[in-house]
Amino acid sequence: MTGQNDLIAFDPRGVVETEPRALALRARSLDGLRLGVLDNTKWNANRLLRKTVAKLQQEYSFAAVSYYRKESFSQDADPALIETIAADNDIVLTAIGD
Amino acid sequence: MAQQARVVTSAEAEANVVPVPPGTDLVEWYFQQGWTDGLPVVPPTRAMVDAVVEALGGGPHFVECKVPPRYGSLSREVLAINMVMAGCKPEYAPIVRAAMLALTTDAFNLNGVQATTHMAAPLLIVNGPIAREIGMNGDCNAFGSGNRANATIGRALRLVLLNVGGGWPGELDKSTLGHPGKYTYCVAENEAGSPWAPYHVEKGFSPKDSTVFVLAAEPPHSVTNHVANDPEGILDSIVSAMSTIANNNAVSSGHCAVIIGPEHARTIAGKGWTRHDVRSYLAMHAYNLFSEITFNERYGKIYNRNLPKWYKREPGSRIPIVPSPDHIHLFVIGGAAGRFSAFIPGWGHMSSPVLRSIDTVDESGARRAPICVDGTCYL
Repeated sequence: MTGQNDLIAFDPRGVVETEPRALALRARSLDGLRLGVLDNTKWNANRLLRKTVAKLQQEYSFAAVSYYRKESFSQDADPALIETIAADNDIVLTAIGD
Repeated sequence: MAQQARVVTSAEAEANVVPVPPGTDLVEWYFQQGWTDGLPVVPPTRAMVDAVVEALGGGPHFVECKVPPRYGSLSREVLAINMVMAGCKPEYAPIVRAAMLALTTDAFNLNGVQATTHMAAPLLIVNGPIAREIGMNGDCNAFGSGNRANATIGRALRLVLLNVGGGWPGELDKSTLGHPGKYTYCVAENEAGSPWAPYHVEKGFSPKDSTVFVLAAEPPHSVTNHVANDPEGILDSIVSAMSTIANNNAVSSGHCAVIIGPEHARTIAGKGWTRHDVRSYLAMHAYNLFSEITFNERYGKIYNRNLPKWYKREPGSRIPIVPSPDHIHLFVIGGAAGRFSAFIPGWGHMSSPVLRSIDTVDESGARRAPICVDGTCYL
């Protein structure tokens, strides 16, 4: 409540309406999981991701490694692509690679 | 700045109203909240906010749009608050609203524009009677300082992008460098000084319509040519400014703006060249070689998926700066004296500029409602 002698100021930010969503369960071990790799098509993303996957594979044994590509690095991925990645993989690796 | 203390009513005890202790320096208070663009803001009063809401048609809680990447709701009251903070007059409201609706059109991809490491900032160019009515500047120093409407309309957009959109530097705005247009980047076309029909008329609007055009843009690059007395000579200088491998159009294609100064425009139009002739000449002659934009494969083979599929990717191939003449948005802007023009690169194919009519009332009292699909003309 405002007091009788208070000044008023205005909050210029507007309301953010969000629905809380729980994070997916974190994997305890990477061995035996299906790894999805999402390339955002930035200049160096593919190179960075492939080298990272190679390093991970030295340490872990994945059941499968699948590569995916966004159409544009500056636009949202196609929802159908996100659904496919979610359905066919246990964990996902992505990077900006600017 | 001295503030006038007043008693607030219970109706004001709502989401957008914040009580502050008597004697508070509100200019400093807004800085402390992190709600400014780095310059002092005008502390809004209830009367000032209400006047802008009224100019927007009332309905303070009507949500005009949501502003990414924060996706804050831009209600008319919140828009009014930011406009007052920027120093806008209420009569600027139709322009600011239309510009925000244009910026939040999906095709513009404001989410990407706000967050990119590139320096792009939304450029707003206003056409039609409203620009004259509110005293916008498309004349001397149009892109510079000195005009309240230009300065505060552009600033209001930036405050909304910061406060509602959350485009705070280093947080959701990851621009490596930014550019000065991120304070304000708003001009009018110099329709009176142009030998051609205005931009929006070229796109099919009536001269009586008022429009906003928004483009995710780099800063203007000056083009000087004090010698040429023909279209080709002047346009070759613009072609030279366009044909570098460093601007974003060169490597990411998409749209750009070309600003023809009135002296240059008169020379070009005096030889019978139309707007379309100018855009076609620039589109045809502004290019780099594929070997140049791929650094002669010094860093390995490059395909560059950002360029159209149909470009031939061979060392000697010409890679146009824009894929077609329609990707060049031509405006006549500037003072009567001076043989200067400007090239304004865009962000790239990731964002489409948007042209939108402004909901205004003409001299007969008739409402000129937005036209095109949903009031938005996709370019």
